[in-house]
Amino acid sequence: MWQYRARNIFSVTIICLSFLIVGVFLSLSNNLQHIARELSTNMVVTFFLDKAATAAEIKNIEQKVLASPLFSGVKVVGAEEARDRFQKNFPDLKDILASLKINPFPPSLEARLKDMAPASREVANFVQDVRRMKGVEDVQFNQDWVDKMQSLSRLAKAVGFFLGGILMLASFFIISNVIKLNVIARKNEIEILRLVGATNVFIRIPFLFEGIAMGMMGSMVSLVFLLLAIKLFPVYVGSLGVLQQLLNFRYLSLFQALGLVAAGGGIGCLGSLSSVSKFLKT
Amino acid sequence: MIELFHVYKQYQPPQWALSDISLKVRSGDFYFITGPSGSGKTTLLKIIFRELPPSQGQIVINGVNILKIPSHRIHELRRTMGIVFQDFRLLFHRTVFDNVAIPLQVLGEPRKEIRRRVFNTLRMLNLHQKMWDLPSRLSYGEQQRVAIARAIVNNPKILLADEPTGNLDPELAFEIITLFKEINKQGATVIIGSHDRELIRHFGDRILFLQKGKLIGKDAP
Repeated sequence: MWQYRARNIFSVTIICLSFLIVGVFLSLSNNLQHIARELSTNMVVTFFLDKAATAAEIKNIEQKVLASPLFSGVKVVGAEEARDRFQKNFPDLKDILASLKINPFPPSLEARLKDMAPASREVANFVQDVRRMKGVEDVQFNQDWVDKMQSLSRLAKAVGFFLGGILMLASFFIISNVIKLNVIARKNEIEILRLVGATNVFIRIPFLFEGIAMGMMGSMVSLVFLLLAIKLFPVYVGSLGVLQQLLNFRYLSLFQALGLVAAGGGIGCLGSLSSVSKFLKT
Repeated sequence: MIELFHVYKQYQPPQWALSDISLKVRSGDFYFITGPSGSGKTTLLKIIFRELPPSQGQIVINGVNILKIPSHRIHELRRTMGIVFQDFRLLFHRTVFDNVAIPLQVLGEPRKEIRRRVFNTLRMLNLHQKMWDLPSRLSYGEQQRVAIARAIVNNPKILLADEPTGNLDPELAFEIITLFKEINKQGATVIIGSHDRELIRHFGDRILFLQKGKLIGKDAP
């Protein structure tokens, strides 16, 4: 490999770039999936209550929710508690709240969904039932966000695999052409080997190892670059506010990383097999 | 035994490089093929080695029609043969030792055995002191001896040599042919393409004469 280093370095760079793109999208998808998981495990349906709701009506709603197998618990949040919570979460807006003569926060009933998030349709139907009950003014339910996150995650993964797939195909042709050039450069050697009785397997093996090594090296270097990018991205970009959580790239799992390295090796192997086979047929 | 039946070879029409060659070389024979340049000596040797296919005819070696051997099994035939090419075909980025070791590496011989046999062969050809040199640092005659060493290192049953003494001084040329005779005495069939009349007169007990691709005569005791 050292003998044709410039050509091989070029090839490894292209493979590295292809795998880096797949890696970035995989990492983004990992993050979106993480957010979706977080949202679904902490998912709460908030039933805002009418200020004029009687204790009996509230009790009635609470019992209806508790009787459902979809929820793990219910908490009644009074208007005062809601205001305190707001003041704690948004201290900058404390003054505005103080200037108001009335407490604008309605009492509510927070129902926590079970961890094994049920189908959104089932929850939505139940929520509609409760909404029609006397004493309920409005409902806040963030299932839509979970669905959106999951869709985004799937989209990121699909885009990653699409772009990565195209680039990996390009890598395959590049590796196969680089190896073909190496084969042509060593044509004399191959011819001599054949004339002294070498089998095709004997001739092919060094090229196979070369292809596998190039593919694996390319994908491993891409993993290192991905790690660096994930570490340096927040430092370089600074605070992104709301986007921070969305673009908080997560590194690949061990399984994904090993999968990429194996894919690199596989592409290298296929590339060299195809180029050497073509040559040995002639 | 090597048998050729009505072998023809044409590179470019209308000329025939070989025309209707039929011959029989028994196992253990020592043959010279001679003739002027362009008479077809190299082509005939390449056809016997199956480096080139004939345009017509059949070649049978030890009862096997070599033209019917599939390409993925041709190595089995070549492992029984040694060939010295007119242009040597050495690997110039590898040492003398590496060049001579190739046929043994292909056979999967152990490293120690390879070292022993390569050293002995190079010593026989008086090249052992240049074992670690690159061929580019050797003289033309020395390069030729490296090519000979590579051809004989695996004790082939059939040894083909195309002008193996072309660049050697008469004394060394005699030594080389004497070595080929020794290999022949050990049972190998040897066919040498040469136009060195002095050598042929001295060593040639069986001679094939080629002219313009045709076998024009045989000289055998």
